[in-house]
Amino acid sequence: MGVTVLSVVALIMSLFVLDQVALAGVALSMLIAAAALLGGIAVITRDGNRQSGVTEQSTDLVSQSIWPLVTGIGVVFLALGLVISSVVFFGGIVILLAALAEWMVQSWSERASKDANYNASARKRLLNPIEFPVLAALGLGIVIFSFSRIMLTVDKTTGASLFIVFGSLVLIGGILFAIKPDMKRSLGAAICVLGAVGIVAGGIVSATSGVREELVAAKSESHMAPECGEERSEHFDKNSTGTLSLRSSVNATIELIDGQLTARLVGFQDPQKSLTISRSTPTNLIFRNLDSKDYRLVAELGMRATAEPEGGTEKNLVCTQLAAQGFEQLLLLKIDKPAPVGTSYKLIVPGVEGQSIELVVP
Amino acid sequence: MVGKKSRTLFGVSLLSFIAASCATNAPQDTWQPKGPNAKIIDDLQQPVFAVAGVIGLIVAAAVIYSVLKYKDRGQPIPEQTHGKPALEITLTIIPALILAVVAVFTFGAIFKLAKTDDTEMIINVTGQQWWWEYDYPVQNEFGITQPIISSGQLVLPVGTKVLLRETSRDVIHSYWIPALNGKRDAVPGRVQTLRLEADKPGIFTGQCTEFCGLSHANMRMEAVALSKADFAKWVANQQAAYVAPAKDSLAQQGEAVFLNQCVRCHQVNGLMRADGTPAIAAPDENVWSGSAPNLSHLMSRNTFAGASFDLLSKQCRDEVWNAPSDTIGAKYLAGVSQDCLNQKDLRSWLRNAPEMLPMYANPTQLEATGGKYRGMPYLALSEDDISKLVAYLLTLK
Repeated sequence: MGVTVLSVVALIMSLFVLDQVALAGVALSMLIAAAALLGGIAVITRDGNRQSGVTEQSTDLVSQSIWPLVTGIGVVFLALGLVISSVVFFGGIVILLAALAEWMVQSWSERASKDANYNASARKRLLNPIEFPVLAALGLGIVIFSFSRIMLTVDKTTGASLFIVFGSLVLIGGILFAIKPDMKRSLGAAICVLGAVGIVAGGIVSATSGVREELVAAKSESHMAPECGEERSEHFDKNSTGTLSLRSSVNATIELIDGQLTARLVGFQDPQKSLTISRSTPTNLIFRNLDSKDYRLVAELGMRATAEPEGGTEKNLVCTQLAAQGFEQLLLLKIDKPAPVGTSYKLIVPGVEGQSIELVVP
Repeated sequence: MVGKKSRTLFGVSLLSFIAASCATNAPQDTWQPKGPNAKIIDDLQQPVFAVAGVIGLIVAAAVIYSVLKYKDRGQPIPEQTHGKPALEITLTIIPALILAVVAVFTFGAIFKLAKTDDTEMIINVTGQQWWWEYDYPVQNEFGITQPIISSGQLVLPVGTKVLLRETSRDVIHSYWIPALNGKRDAVPGRVQTLRLEADKPGIFTGQCTEFCGLSHANMRMEAVALSKADFAKWVANQQAAYVAPAKDSLAQQGEAVFLNQCVRCHQVNGLMRADGTPAIAAPDENVWSGSAPNLSHLMSRNTFAGASFDLLSKQCRDEVWNAPSDTIGAKYLAGVSQDCLNQKDLRSWLRNAPEMLPMYANPTQLEATGGKYRGMPYLALSEDDISKLVAYLLTLK
């Protein structure tokens, strides 16, 4: 009921303080409704009236705690972060908040009663549901990050083999646990810890030795702006539509088969020779090369001004990278204006004569 | 003990809630399909809702019974037991079976709604903050020999399987005309399809259903279903050449104002500059989404500003909307005459658009968009210019 009252107060204040209250008003109104409903149910059913767990207060001294130390570390991170980087600063905030929360709950639980066991269980009941998922996520994150470092260092074939081996080990481990449920918990934990430590150690070694040469070279090839002439890049994704997210829901698939260029669009039964693209609309096209040689798709989008020489013009071309026979490449277009009167935009494949797809920009 | 007053209050609140759900004028009612695709959904949701309703009532009754019977009256906590395998298995199998049956029919409906190989007509639909653009690619079988661009109102022929190819220019939107089909997200860079088909001529309203910014709640759409003959007339009109206003008329002065102010963002096909070159709008230089509504044949539509406002006065609008299906086409095709124009809203819009629709149009707050607006800005037009513009816009039939 307290939340309801506070939300009402906040809503009234927001009406006076904020210029645009639409979002805040909706959010607070929803909060008021939800809190009032829950509060009302709690009042009607007297769910909050139970007087259980009333115990005698403890007068013992507090036990040793690691949290003052962690709080200190958090403060140090906070101070260093102000000088070094925002990441360290926010890390300090997270450590500080976590340590303060743990410290407060520990202090409270140690005085909850005279019964030390009850106090310990009270602390666990309160914090374990938060601690376990956070620690698990943190641990898994470190393992996954380490694994990714290993994969970036080893070559492609070794990477695939490692993935298979790692996956198989997890599967075998799972099967062993399933058929030997009475196995010692400590043994299972030891195996998991050993595996995790191995991966983290591998990750550290990989991170220090750097990524494989192929990736370093690929980074310098500027794949975001492929050349429309001779292919200069070597380390690019030869089948960039290989991932499902790129393949789905594209505007059109442009196919080159036996020297014929056609566009296949969802909804149109027959292959098309023209494609309507709305102005300023990000448009993804797939170029599928089913011909016998390596080809690329080029969009001819009129002329554009050149920086050097000033006032000059050049052909405005947007291209895919080379696609070998049977492979696909993506082309992203965004055309802001229709073609000037008497001209047209089109898709062509250099080396294939007499074939084009008209790009209509209304 | 719950007092009599509390029970009465609870009862009144519940009845008020239920009564609020019963609107007589609900054009976006999902329970009134007007086409085969919406009927597929309706045929699924009616029995599912009935089954879910019965189950919901049983569960709610069981919960209320338990809450009232076993609420805290100071009695000792009853003995806690665990495990009733027969009961637990039964209570797992029954819902699983119900869900399996529902799933079979749901998948059937999904596959029917996803069909595209029987498409008869294609319309490209592009969403942006906060309006929809419709472009009709060349389709000779419908008399569309050059692309048609419109906005606010989707016009389609009845009894025709229309496939919308949806995309977006800025953020994710969602297209929804409840009387004709379910929703489909419009995602930048992707083309998603949605089937629409109307049984009879009529106008059906819709609403963007993916939160897309400040004026999301105002991002409406209307689908106008016309008989095939009326649709052919509409197509012919949309492809008609631009007719310049009469010489020395107020509309001609309005054309000059339009060329000075509006053509920066709004295209009117066929409009020429004084030097004889075509006036090509450049919304990409002024608007964040890179587009503004094409105003060619504006007065053939009944709405403006993303269907947020009516171009027709209330009386004329009612005459169109309430017309029987056999005459609605003719009334719609009549467009907006001077007598029927909703002068008040159109003039207010031209006077200060951001005051009528929230659009992030404050020029001092456009840093994040590189100075580009998300909607129509305040243009500081004089009343004289507004009169000229209104006269000009009225010629765009």
